[in-house]
Amino acid sequence: MMDGMSSSVIPRKRRDPVLIGLWISLVLVALIWLAPVVFILFTSLKSESEIFSSAAFALPSDFQWSNFSVAWAKGNFNQTFVNSSVITVIKVPLGLLISAMAAYALAQIPTGWNKLLLVFVLFGAMIPFQVMLAPLFTLVNSMGLIDTYPGIILPYLAFGVPYQVFILHGFFRAVPKELTEAALIDGASHFTIFRRIFLPVSLPVLSALLILDFVATWNEFAMALVLLQDKNMWNLPLGLMSYQGQFSNNYGQLNAAIVMTVLPATIVYLIFQRYFVSGLTSGAVKG
Amino acid sequence: MTNMDLFQTPRGQAIVLMAPALAVYSLFAIWPMIDVVILSFQDWNGIRENRDWVGLQNYHHILYNDPVFWVAFRNTVIWTILSVVFPPLLGLLLALGLNQRLIGRAPLRAIYYLPVIIAPIAVATMWRWMYDPFFGLFTQMLTDMGLSRWIVDWLGDKEVALYSIFVAYVWQSVGFSMVLFLAGLQSVDKSLIDAAHIDGANRREIFKHVTLPALRPTITIVLVLSTISSLKAFDIVYGMTGGGPAQSTQMLALWAFTQSMQIFDYGRGSAVSVVLLAITLVIVVPYMRWSQRREEEAR
Repeated sequence: MMDGMSSSVIPRKRRDPVLIGLWISLVLVALIWLAPVVFILFTSLKSESEIFSSAAFALPSDFQWSNFSVAWAKGNFNQTFVNSSVITVIKVPLGLLISAMAAYALAQIPTGWNKLLLVFVLFGAMIPFQVMLAPLFTLVNSMGLIDTYPGIILPYLAFGVPYQVFILHGFFRAVPKELTEAALIDGASHFTIFRRIFLPVSLPVLSALLILDFVATWNEFAMALVLLQDKNMWNLPLGLMSYQGQFSNNYGQLNAAIVMTVLPATIVYLIFQRYFVSGLTSGAVKG
Repeated sequence: MTNMDLFQTPRGQAIVLMAPALAVYSLFAIWPMIDVVILSFQDWNGIRENRDWVGLQNYHHILYNDPVFWVAFRNTVIWTILSVVFPPLLGLLLALGLNQRLIGRAPLRAIYYLPVIIAPIAVATMWRWMYDPFFGLFTQMLTDMGLSRWIVDWLGDKEVALYSIFVAYVWQSVGFSMVLFLAGLQSVDKSLIDAAHIDGANRREIFKHVTLPALRPTITIVLVLSTISSLKAFDIVYGMTGGGPAQSTQMLALWAFTQSMQIFDYGRGSAVSVVLLAITLVIVVPYMRWSQRREEEAR
């Protein structure tokens, strides 16, 4: 929209050589950026002998789909896929709900403590959980929850809260207080206002956070490494790591295992692309 | 106060709404952080009933008797400096380019952002295979170009391994900075740029006097976020080298984990954690103050 206005002010040069050079270099760098993905994809479809005889970026001559089925079976993907799915499907919506509830209360119900509580919560967004892996293990272990779904979901929820509250609080605060006050006068409780007014208006932000959190939870490795010790409770990243350790002598199958681990998040990304940008930036840049 | 009262006052409703998030956050995020500080003054192997207080012994050990700690410290500093310079710089360049009206702008952005959503552990696995000294991508390409004397054992050479991992990290993290800069560029006043055009300013002058000042808050945010995420470097190092060869790619976050969870010395591991925590706080606290001030000014 802005561009339309500006082009009427300044006569646009027909072909700007600087822009053409820029375009060419952006495309070249993009090819480099894409190369690892293409390399992995091609290797995953090649037979072992073809990997050693053909050029790195040569198309597979004969698609070895069996790499995928063999890697799936060897890597115990049945189990790790179910574990990752269960953890993600429970954690992501539940985390968003509790974060949204807290963000609403912090933004719209004055209690005198809100500012302090907000700083307390935001603090967590900046602290690397990697420094607390050992005490986290000790805590979860003392509750007898090592190798259980709750044992991993509860810490995931805890470390998801700060960022989501930060984004949602910023969004809820922008809603005029008069709206809430009018509804309160009409006899609505804050629970009703939250459910009937704030949840519906924040759907775009919630979807952005949902997708970001889906990817983050799906990809999480460090906490799972500490909290899920039993092979049968591993998530996909743990499964891939162990696969690499055990079966790295068959490159085709190893690459098939990588592709299968990465694929769900990639598909989600490609479908919901625009939400990623809005989710990431709504809080961080526009503040 | 009965249950009914609690649900009826605004204060009570606020408590009910905040309780789940605050409870789970306090227990599983804040408590471990306090516990790591406590543990750093204790001697514990993770199994024994009692944790014994040992004062500053753990800190004394890691600072004076643990050569790996200083390697990890040095690597963390190098890694952080590199991560604050290269991914943001590349991200800014890409964002400036992709902010122009170009054909295929959307797919280009998508390509650059794609590695961000790939699991770091999968990135590690991918790049480990690409760095394979015999059949990997880099070795193959250098051989094809007749440059086989440049081939080194990318992840097995003590001098090279850290930088090999860093290249993979750049590949993964540039898209993140790029997206933040692209968003920041939306806040640059278009009419100012047009006015500068009319006044005959060239591209460099416009960048220096219009775009760059408008980007200043974004730059701060990107730099702080890059610093924080670089301190967390764990997955990618664990997956690519596990800290080897001969601890040459060891980092503070990974060394803390190794000490506690693999050597079962929780005290020393926690002391390493506290050092990392302290470094993080030195960066985070001023940033939080700054952003809060900025927010209050914006109101």
